[in-house]
Amino acid sequence: MSPPPRAKHLWRYTPWPRIKPQEGVPVADKILFSIDGDVTLQSGAPRAVLESDIARVFLSEIGGSSHTLHIDGDFGLIHIQAKASGHVAAGHLHIDCKGSATVILHLTGEADWSGLYVSGVVADNCKLAYGFVNELSNDCKLLHCEDWAVGRDAVMEIAALSVGGFRCKSDVRTTLIGSGGSLKQAVTVHGLGSRHIDNHIEINHKVANCNSKLVINSACAGSSRSIATGLLKVAEGANGTDAGQVFRNLLLSDKARADSIPELEVLADEVKAAHGAASSPVNPEQVHYLMSRGHSPQQAETLIVEGFLIDAFSTLSDSDLKDVLATRMTIHLECELKR
Amino acid sequence: MSDEAISESNEARDLVGEYQFGFHDEDKSVIRFNNGLSEQIVRDISAIKNEPEWMTDIRVKAYHHFVEREMPKWGSPEILNNIDFEAITYFLRSTDATKDDWKDVPEDIQNTFDKVGLREAEGTWLGGITAQYDSEAVYHSIREDLESQGVIFLDMDSGLREHPELVKKYFGKVVPHSDNKFAALNTAVWSGGSFVYIPKGVHVEMPIQAYFRINAENMGQFERTLILADEGSSVHYIEGCTAPSYSSTALHSAVVELIAMDGAKIRYSTIQNWSNNVLNLVTKRAHAMKNSTVEWIDSNIGSGLTMKYPAILLKGEGSHAEVVSVAYAGKGQHQDTGAKVHHLAANTTSNIISKSISKDGGRSTYRGMLQVMPKAHNCRSKIVCDALMLDSDSRSDTYPTMEIGNSSADLEHEASVSKVSGDQLFYLMSRGFSEQEAMGLIVNGFFEPFTRELPADYAVEMNKLLNIKMEGSIG
Repeated sequence: MSPPPRAKHLWRYTPWPRIKPQEGVPVADKILFSIDGDVTLQSGAPRAVLESDIARVFLSEIGGSSHTLHIDGDFGLIHIQAKASGHVAAGHLHIDCKGSATVILHLTGEADWSGLYVSGVVADNCKLAYGFVNELSNDCKLLHCEDWAVGRDAVMEIAALSVGGFRCKSDVRTTLIGSGGSLKQAVTVHGLGSRHIDNHIEINHKVANCNSKLVINSACAGSSRSIATGLLKVAEGANGTDAGQVFRNLLLSDKARADSIPELEVLADEVKAAHGAASSPVNPEQVHYLMSRGHSPQQAETLIVEGFLIDAFSTLSDSDLKDVLATRMTIHLECELKR
Repeated sequence: MSDEAISESNEARDLVGEYQFGFHDEDKSVIRFNNGLSEQIVRDISAIKNEPEWMTDIRVKAYHHFVEREMPKWGSPEILNNIDFEAITYFLRSTDATKDDWKDVPEDIQNTFDKVGLREAEGTWLGGITAQYDSEAVYHSIREDLESQGVIFLDMDSGLREHPELVKKYFGKVVPHSDNKFAALNTAVWSGGSFVYIPKGVHVEMPIQAYFRINAENMGQFERTLILADEGSSVHYIEGCTAPSYSSTALHSAVVELIAMDGAKIRYSTIQNWSNNVLNLVTKRAHAMKNSTVEWIDSNIGSGLTMKYPAILLKGEGSHAEVVSVAYAGKGQHQDTGAKVHHLAANTTSNIISKSISKDGGRSTYRGMLQVMPKAHNCRSKIVCDALMLDSDSRSDTYPTMEIGNSSADLEHEASVSKVSGDQLFYLMSRGFSEQEAMGLIVNGFFEPFTRELPADYAVEMNKLLNIKMEGSIG
């Protein structure tokens, strides 16, 4: 498969040669998955590879571990730890939700290169709240793809917190395949040092009367760069769609960069589809206010960043998901403040 | 529908069916090159115009770049890849020279420009006009008071002949031939267009206009426009365009270069109403220097495929960019339009408003770029894109890109896609309007940010044009 041209938005900002491992197709070590709670992970995972996407084809060829989580019935919070070690590590997790649960996937480790593929189906009338926390060590490279299908009257919430790795490319695609399906998605990115974080979020409304909301909040400091491309597709006949995308960027230094490309492709007419993007520096009045309450300039800025990033999760309704992600965010910022 | 509205729409339809300007004159060209493109054709165009050697060299270089350059893979590749460049006529001279009195212009050409309303407008509220018919200008005039102030308004061929030093200095500096495949094609075979120079401190109060008419079948029109507004000057340039309806494809590939020096203001308005057999692949770009303003007021109503993204490079501190763009995509049309603003200097500001309507299976696309370079401190920008879908067969896409390289930038972007609200229709109908009239009012209101920027006569014409386009949009 030849590398995709940079003319494609998906590969414009993080070209394939910059995110793939140094060697061709190495044999990957396994990302080790472990789970807390009453459920177990089963070996093996079904996979339908999207042949036109080089990242997905590559992740299917490279090997690594593969597991499936079956959710039959109502579960509370399920924690899955994923640890990437060695030179090149890869793994595939499939979630088959036929009930309701809140699943947190927490990726850590020191592998030079990690490849993670997550897929899942939320069956008709079921509910899944899924959170992904990327806390890889600072010298890791991550290629991360997700594919989700949301059934009739099903509810899915996706939250992502990206604070690890020095170069990360995430490509998360959700297809609403059943009428009445609902998706809420929140992504937060904290760019530090020279981090390069590229998020592509694709939401496909295939059928009528579904709704989706996407919020991406990025705060970039140092010489970091955040790229957010969101593609919202409304298929022919998907009338009654209500979809919105909001991209917000907070730039904290002169060398930081943020690129936002929220795209809409609408082929139905009875729809509400909107997107918005905004970018601005930290408001000096807010910093001044916090400093007048005794905070140092750095603490004040951290508080503002924390509030800005956590605000992305306010659109979600699953309280466990919000709490876990917000806690991880606070811990991360406190650690950064102490450095 | 009221009697008046019925009579108005019947009149328009009786004229020439759906497209008002689809008539054509008999081809009585003085010179017509064989179809097809080669280096020899490029050299022949240059030779027939007695151009200086440097221009011939630029043309030849651009031709080779055009041949080597790949076709864009975005926009509408299926149409672009099917363009038969060998079937197009690259040069056609309709009259022996550009005239400055309508009496000297052949009668059928006079009649054509009468029908499109150009002669009437010239007499009432324009400061000067250039009328281009196929490859070259057939008529040109400028008010004496403007000429006496040093304003230069010529067709581009005359501009090159009479002011070669200015043309050499600025030609291709804003849009180099290597910019894209169609800019290369234009640079190789350009003919006609406008050359405008506004001296320091001169404000041209009345708009100047160029009207581009394609008449011959399989014609390619490649006009080249260069507008220089010197320090503290201002000008409003309007271009209009129509073509006959043929079953074969015509190609319009223009390049427009604007340079607004310190404190200058250029407003460039376009009412593009090509027939649906025309492919409109245009590159328009401006350089805005310190404290200058450049405004693109751009409407795309006609053509089968338009790919046009007026761009402004804000190079000087305090400069401002304004783009107001509307597009109507009806049956068989793809309007792939947008705007690009690059903030290269500090304290620069920009506003982009884009409105589009898709109907009867038409496709409208907004493709934009907003870029803030690292040294461009304290920039502000706002982008609004709204799309109306009038039926389920149509399509609307929005591809905005924001690249922000400076933390002090304050940017907003918002876009929405929706259909005409039933509540609005119901309200207007409860006030006595028919469904058709109510729809027309809503659409005219939707495009109001554009029409309010036009001179009054144009705004009225634009609204009429839209009403004709909206015919049959109910039921």
